[in-house]
Parts: sequence; structure tokens; C-alpha cells
Amino acid sequence: MASGLPEDILLQIFAVLDVPDLVRAGSVCSAWHGAYTSLCSLGCLKQSQTPCLLYTAKSRGQSAAGLYSLAEKKPYTLALPDPPIRSRYFLGSAYGWIITADERSELHLLNPITGDQIALPSVTTFEHVTPIYDKNGTVEEYSSYCALPGPHGPSTYSLSKLREFFFHKAFLSSDPSTGDYIVVVIHNTYYRLSFARSGDDRWTSLPPQCYFADCIFKDGLMYAVNGFGAIHVFDFSEPVVKQKVILEAKRDYIFERVYVVQTPCGDLMQIWSDVDWELEAVSEESEPDPLEEDDSFSEPDLPSDYEPSRHHCTPFKLFKVDLTANKLVEISSLGENVLFIGQNQTVCLNAQEHPQLKANHIYFTDNDEYAVFARKNMIRDIGVLNLCDNSKEKITSPQIWSNWPSPVWITPNLRKMNSDVGGSTEETARAQAPPSSSWTVVFAHGWSVAFVFLLFSLLMSWFM
Amino acid sequence: MASAGSGDEKAAAAAMITLISSDNEKFEVTEATATLSQTIRHMIEDGCTDGGVPLPNVTSKILARVIEYCKKHATAAAGEEGSSSSFSDAAFLEVDRAFLEELEEFDDAFLEVDRATLFDLILAANYLDIKGLLNLTCQKVADSVKGKTPEQIREMYNIVNDLTPEEEAEIRRETQWAFE
Repeated sequence: MASGLPEDILLQIFAVLDVPDLVRAGSVCSAWHGAYTSLCSLGCLKQSQTPCLLYTAKSRGQSAAGLYSLAEKKPYTLALPDPPIRSRYFLGSAYGWIITADERSELHLLNPITGDQIALPSVTTFEHVTPIYDKNGTVEEYSSYCALPGPHGPSTYSLSKLREFFFHKAFLSSDPSTGDYIVVVIHNTYYRLSFARSGDDRWTSLPPQCYFADCIFKDGLMYAVNGFGAIHVFDFSEPVVKQKVILEAKRDYIFERVYVVQTPCGDLMQIWSDVDWELEAVSEESEPDPLEEDDSFSEPDLPSDYEPSRHHCTPFKLFKVDLTANKLVEISSLGENVLFIGQNQTVCLNAQEHPQLKANHIYFTDNDEYAVFARKNMIRDIGVLNLCDNSKEKITSPQIWSNWPSPVWITPNLRKMNSDVGGSTEETARAQAPPSSSWTVVFAHGWSVAFVFLLFSLLMSWFM
Repeated sequence: MASAGSGDEKAAAAAMITLISSDNEKFEVTEATATLSQTIRHMIEDGCTDGGVPLPNVTSKILARVIEYCKKHATAAAGEEGSSSSFSDAAFLEVDRAFLEELEEFDDAFLEVDRATLFDLILAANYLDIKGLLNLTCQKVADSVKGKTPEQIREMYNIVNDLTPEEEAEIRRETQWAFE
């Protein structure tokens, strides 16, 4: 009698399931499998899957990732295509896809659930990255800049080293399985932005150079926040990208981490946090998590007696963005909402739609760039922060992930890629852009570097 | 229109509709109750409810349950409508909250049915186009399959696995990770 449920009803039932349950329900019988297959090709109906933590572990091998379901409190193992997932850096995560940098510092989009993968334009097409060839004509090294163009010109980086110094975070405008998407990367110098549309063969740089920290896509526009709290909006709907500042800088110094997010009711929010560096390995009151077995990484620059250290995020500061008044209004509570922050595209969900998540909590992964890109021995601060009392909980105990590559939140997506991805020139409907008179055409504008930028850069180079 | 109670009076004054189940049992319901079903609402609008509304796809047993649901929720809808005008009044908000809690308890108790009845309720809610009931029952099925293996789901709902071993192997090959 169960087969009596028509497919549209099965779709409605499946639409509220998280991906692992959906996959299992899809193999109950042919009718259920049919509904599952429809869902995979249509895209996941559930508007907001419960995020999972994507990570790797030595015990799972080079080519497998762990997927920890917060809904089920259960880890899964995903077999992934080459290049081996443990050899990559995770630069971003959105719509169920991650953006990775491989050992040649080349970028890929990867959906760990479907195994679909898309190679992005070569790293050598970024402005300020030049390939250096050996005598046989193969790329041997890259020439580029670190945080700022030094007085002595660009430095050379080995193929795998460039990604450490060049990339900060990457973003997606939409689900790549639709074949129509834009990838945006924050990279050096000056934490600037470059983008590539689906089908592009090169990266296009987006002035101004502005110490960007985080981006989201909302109503067809990209909102990029910088370290000073200013928000720039970019309109990609026409061949020439237009940009304007919708929120002026709110500080004259840079917070180490700034995130921007859209709340379920459509408001913009900024989250600021600083990093509290603290050596804890020898602390008596708190026992450090044991690193996963055999999970130490050799770093030739470090002294042999180097102790893994841990650092903490200071309590996050939350601000509602009031664009009309051009100000940030500090708030102390997320109310019913839940935040997911880290190397992922920042996500804000409503706990009422996700009974497994805790309202007014921040689910965070440690994506401090020094930890992500420079200090593989750092014990990562990954957990759940209760904003009522600032208490922290761990996701799992003991820790099941390697510290490297840095675990990232992911919202699983079953949608398989169309076979004709990339070939589509179809324009999707976009939100109406504000009057063009107030926009700056990105390429027509020079940018002067403020003194404070320079100061920060110097400070950074001192840290590195 | 000022209190949740007025919904009852309003409903009582409204016209009555006769619903006829597949096994020919007649049910007298108020229009407010019947129009939770979009299907019946359209029939009323088209003026084709004289002499009763035949529902050949719904048995009397299931129709009785559906009417029980609609009665409760029609009252709730009327109550909500009444109190929305005095939204700022804390006392009414309190009444609303109590009423919503009561409604939630009703829904929970309503869903305490055997699996066959649950599926029949889904089909009836779909046929009668009662959005709230369809969401409620679908959510119940979704909740019941969470964390279950395909075998457990088949057993729970008495579903025959009509996939060929080859098809099943193919599915497993693609999505092995979810079965560990």
C-alpha cells in the first residue's frame, strides 16, 4: 500500500529530509528511488539542509573526507576524486560545494556528495601571478607577491607554496550544478577580489583593493565586507561589473576576522572577532585535545621542540547593518537564529526550522588565516558557542578530524551537474539593480592606498 | 471579532455542507470547516455542493479523522483572525499562545495513528488539498524515516522492495557512504 503514495507526495516528504536520510530513503523501492532521482536532478528541495562538518582524517586515507552530520551526530566517509582531498586547501564552501587549492595551487570546485568536480581557470591567470618555466617549458614555480608588493619586487613560490600566501577565501554566487555561477576569490595583494564566471578561462580582477574579509550573494548582488567594516556591493549582471560602497568604514583599524551574513528575514549582519593567541599546551587547568593519531606535520621552519598551540576566538561581536542610517547596531543575541562561520560562506539559519541546532549559538571553525595557511600544528578551535553565557561546547570528543586541511562547514547538496555545464549561455533572471548613476564602473577607477593599509601590511609582514 | 471564542459563534452561524464518503456515509460540517479543503472551497465557489459533496477517494473512517482535524483548525484560524487586530494586547497574545500550544498538542495526538491510516490521511489531504494536514502528515513520515535503514523503512511501512538486485547494487555503489 505504501507504493500508493504518488511521486509529488514522496517529493514533499523527501523535501524535509537531510541528505543522508534522503539517500537511504531513495533505495527503499522503485517508487521512492524515482522520487529521489527526481530530487537529485531538480536540486534539493529542502531549502536549508542542516550543515555538516567536512574534514579529513589520516585514518580515512588521502582521498576520503569525513562528513559529520550535526543532525544525526554521526560521521560518514565520502570517497572523493583526485587530486587527493588531503593534499588540498579548503578555501570556501557554499551550496554544497567546496573550493579547493591543489598542490599546484590550482583551484577546483568539488561537490563531495555527488563527486562532481569543476576545474577553475588557472592560477597563472590571476593578476600578479606569473608562471616561471624550466628549460623544458613546464611550469616550475610562480612569481607573485605576498600581502603587499614589496620594494624588491615579486617573490618566487614553489607550485604548492603559492596557495599559502596568495589565497584567503573563496565564494560562490549560486549552485555550480546549474551551470551558471560566479566564483569570487579574496587573494593577495591587499586582500583584493577576483572573479570568474562559469565558462571563463581566466580570472578578472575587481578593484578597489580594499582588505576584503568576507562576501555573500543576496538578490543577485555580491556584498563584500572589508576589515574596516565597510560594505561594497558588486553587480555582476552586466559584462562590466559595477560596484559601490553602501556602508562606510566603521573603524580605522582592521579586526582579524570580519564576516557578513544575511539573516533569514533578509537583514545584513556583520560579525567581528579577534584572535586571542594563547599557548595552552602546557596549561594545567585545561587538557588539550590529543591530535589525531600520527597527525603532526613537519614544518622545517619550526624548532624541534615546537609545541602545538591553541588559540581562541574572543567572543564575537554581532552587528545589525542599518544601511539607511549608514551604521552598525551592536546586538547581543541572535534570537532564534544560528550562525555558521569559518572558511565557509557565512550562513545564518533559523533554529525553528532546524530542531537539531541550538538557537542563539554560533557554530564556528577556526579559519584564522595564519592557522589555516601557515601553522599546521595549531589545534583548531572548532565548536559551538552559546551566546547566552559565552560557554563553548565541542562538536565531538575526542576530535575526529585532522587539523589539516582545515575542516569546513558544508550544506550537503545532492544535485548532480548537468552534462552540458559550461556550454550554457542562458541568462538567469536577476534582481533589479539600483539606479546605475550611483554605481562605479569597476575598471574605470584607480585606487589610492591609504596610509593605514600600508601600516597594516607592514604589521602583517612582520607577523609572517 | 475580539476573541478566539467568537470563531465558534461565527462558524455556527455559517452554512452547513454535506460530505459523502466513498462508502456513502454522510457528514454535516460547517462551511468554515469544509473550506480548509481547497478542493471543497472551489466546489462551494462554483456552487456545486447542493445535495452533498461526494468524495469517492475517501473512506468514512478517514473522512471522520480529516473532519476532526479541520474542525479544530478552522476554530484556530477564526481565533487567529479575531485576535490579529488587537496584536499589541498582551492578554490576547497570551490567549494566542495557549491556543497554539493546545493546537500543537491536538496535532501530536492526532498523528498517533497506525502507519496505514497515516498514509491514507496523506492521500486524503492531498486529494482534498488541505495544506496544513498534508504538511503535518508528510512531516510525520519524514520524521519516522530519519536515521533508519532502507530495510527498517520497508518493514515499518510494509513496502515491498521491487528494485532488482542489479538496481540495488548500482544505487549502493553510488551512495555507499550513507549506508555505513
